[in-house]
Amino acid sequence: MRNTRRNVLKFIGGAAAGAVLTPVPWRLITDTALLSENWPGVPRPLRGEVSARYTNCSVCNAGCAVRARCVGGQPVSLAGVKGHPLSRGGLCAVGVAAHQLPYCAGRLTQGPVEAAAGVIARAAANCNAATAGTPGAVCNPTESIAVLDLRPGRTASWTYRRAMGAVRNGLYLTAAGPFSGAAVDLSKTHTVLSLGAPVLDGWGTPGNVLATRANFRLIQAEAIESRTASLADLWLRIQPGSASALAMGIAAALKKGSVADGAAATGLTERQITDLAADLTQHGPALVLPGYDCPGAWALNQLTGGWGEAVVARREAPVPEQWKNCAPVTGLESVPDGSIRTLIIDESAPGDYVPWGAIRRKLVADNPVVIAFAWSPDGYRRHALLTVPTAVYPETLEDIPAAIDSPAPVFRLAAPLIAAPAGVVNPPEFVAKAVGIDATNALRERADAIRKAGRGVLITYADGRTRPVAQVTPEDFWKALNEGACWMDTESRRTAPPAMDLPVLDAQPFEHTRMSFAVLAETATAAAAPVSPLMTKLDRESNLRLGRSRAALHPETARSCGTADGRRAMLETALGKCPIEVVVDASVPPGVVQVAASPEVIDICGASARARVAPL
Amino acid sequence: MISERKPAKICRYGMAVDIDKCTGCGACMIACAVENNVPPGNPDATDLTGITWLRVFKVDNGEEYPRKESVYFPMMCQQCGVETPCYLVCPQQAVDVDPATGIVFQMPERCLGCRYCMAACPYHSRYFNWWDPKWPAGMEKTLNPDVAPRMRGVVEKCNYCHGRWHAARQRAAEAGETEISPGDYVPACVEACPAGAIQFGDLNDPTSAPAIAAKDPESFRLLVKLGTDPKVYYHSKREWARRIGDPSQAPSPKEPSRG
Repeated sequence: MRNTRRNVLKFIGGAAAGAVLTPVPWRLITDTALLSENWPGVPRPLRGEVSARYTNCSVCNAGCAVRARCVGGQPVSLAGVKGHPLSRGGLCAVGVAAHQLPYCAGRLTQGPVEAAAGVIARAAANCNAATAGTPGAVCNPTESIAVLDLRPGRTASWTYRRAMGAVRNGLYLTAAGPFSGAAVDLSKTHTVLSLGAPVLDGWGTPGNVLATRANFRLIQAEAIESRTASLADLWLRIQPGSASALAMGIAAALKKGSVADGAAATGLTERQITDLAADLTQHGPALVLPGYDCPGAWALNQLTGGWGEAVVARREAPVPEQWKNCAPVTGLESVPDGSIRTLIIDESAPGDYVPWGAIRRKLVADNPVVIAFAWSPDGYRRHALLTVPTAVYPETLEDIPAAIDSPAPVFRLAAPLIAAPAGVVNPPEFVAKAVGIDATNALRERADAIRKAGRGVLITYADGRTRPVAQVTPEDFWKALNEGACWMDTESRRTAPPAMDLPVLDAQPFEHTRMSFAVLAETATAAAAPVSPLMTKLDRESNLRLGRSRAALHPETARSCGTADGRRAMLETALGKCPIEVVVDASVPPGVVQVAASPEVIDICGASARARVAPL
Repeated sequence: MISERKPAKICRYGMAVDIDKCTGCGACMIACAVENNVPPGNPDATDLTGITWLRVFKVDNGEEYPRKESVYFPMMCQQCGVETPCYLVCPQQAVDVDPATGIVFQMPERCLGCRYCMAACPYHSRYFNWWDPKWPAGMEKTLNPDVAPRMRGVVEKCNYCHGRWHAARQRAAEAGETEISPGDYVPACVEACPAGAIQFGDLNDPTSAPAIAAKDPESFRLLVKLGTDPKVYYHSKREWARRIGDPSQAPSPKEPSRG
């Protein structure tokens, strides 16, 4: 071929046309696009020395032992500690990403700290003046200042009790039900009847529950096919809101009474209820675990023979003697309505969210003062006059109360892995200081009291050693607790908790109309507490869990409401309404709305609320 | 054709997943995202556009209550050992199979985002970055320095936490060893599973959990008929659950369920 100008041009033209068919131009286009699209670029992870640090997770009462992989002192991943006697190396999904909690959207780092201190100090002074009959007192002698502790059993709880004990009308309130101060022993249990408790979904200490799972037969009585229901040995599908009726039916069967009412309310047959009662007595020790809507069903354990075996009394870890002159523990329900002038709510450590309506009616009608200690904008900040920012795990130094499935008393610290931002406060120290008490060293004093008692063992995570606490010096004990350790009391003689009365429950038969459905809140792992931003992997990006602001409906129910999958709708109850996104799910029974238990939802829904879903 | 490098020791890393033990808690999914710097979902992300290298599905036997049974099914890249579909279709050689480990790699730097591999993957285990990776302010500090975050417009997938494999190799080298001890290299999902449902090991080692599972008559693999030699063995005592491996026999729900 001659090198003519025409041939050269043909070659160039052919090469250009051919190049379009190769990846080269597309690669160039993509690279150019990526460079332009990614400004300011993909973040670069920090570099630094890699180290392992140990602590305990304080996201819930399980307090699982944690090994944190740190880079340059910053935790980048968390894992369980193998060989821990209770958490058994387990860590739930929320705990695995808990080192990201400080970076949640809307994290509170600023607030009216000085104003809150002044308000608490003045409220305490006013209460003292009013009860002493001082002329010109600004509040009524019957009005009080109170602390609502959402996570009782901590050293912080004792500090609050001491602080409220220093005020004449001071109250220390908890929302803990009648079962506080007791524990369950799954290792001694052969049959578990759960009345809606999420046994396999974050209840108790997840690692311990799964490790002992082979020992017991699990019967789940629940209206919806929850994660626990789908994995239970037997799932009894009962009518929504009828768990209490089932408990009463079983009690009647155990007392050889009529179970007709229980059968009518639950949708089960009388035979099923009598068989269930027989199962509990014949395959014991049996444990009856109530869900959030029937706490009184703990008393059923007295009839099944599990009281003192599967359900035991648990003593508290030693506390300094001088602390015991303090305010008693008072249940929120037992406080007269309209009697609290100033209420302090500590939600710095996630606990059981109490519906705002239950709190509101205890406050005085005219200008009550509510001060919330919180790190997240969710929760009681929406109702409080003042919100004081706090640290959050893993920034805090705090102890974690014993989990419900820990028969032995324990003491463990959530030692800080990173520094808390400037401007946040430690709620118990803050309240104590406002009323004139020094509690800056409370954790150390508690640790010294435990060490002085000389009981139990110290389990250190870094070396996996277990030593009698009597062989450890007070300094080493404190140091070990701060570097990742757990004190566990020695097994004492098992005793049954104080006797409880089985409440008489008024069970209404389930019935739904076209525009009125039962609302069931999904109460799995720390559902009401804020979680890591990565939890979108479990809800929005995979639909494995029901995300916040989402509600699952049966296809028929969705159709009857005029809505469909992915549509926006309004969930309305007698107490209020909140916007939701509809998720169509055939496993939800018709006539039921399943929602995730966020504070907004708990505020508008009772234990068995009725609701309607209106399309937006 | 697979890469021609000649490693000193040939491993075939695989997994054994006991779906009877899985509770669907999702700890494995979160641990995977933390370890591999997968960003939180974009506000517009859905289950079709989100990125979950490991995803847990809920599967039932298609019956109605009270005969209904369900299992939770962790699904990750099956690390196909033969005729690896994504490897075969990639026009950019952005997919490679490591002959030393049998792990199928995705190289985001080479990927042009054509998503042929996603179409070819019979397990839907590949994910496309539809959005720029974004973390809330300050959360970049919690990123794992052993894994580079990926940019928008590329495909990514499970690689058995290859950063951990490198770290284990380095530790072995520092100790004067030439091979990784079996317990020293464990992917994040295996470490995180509180139920012990996921186990990891070398299929060439007859004492490893996956090798034992491979011989168990109650174990199965997904879509074996395709002949891609997936290296994840699932185990269940329930006969209907074992049929998940073969879609022509698997139960199908009458109406859509979540999860």
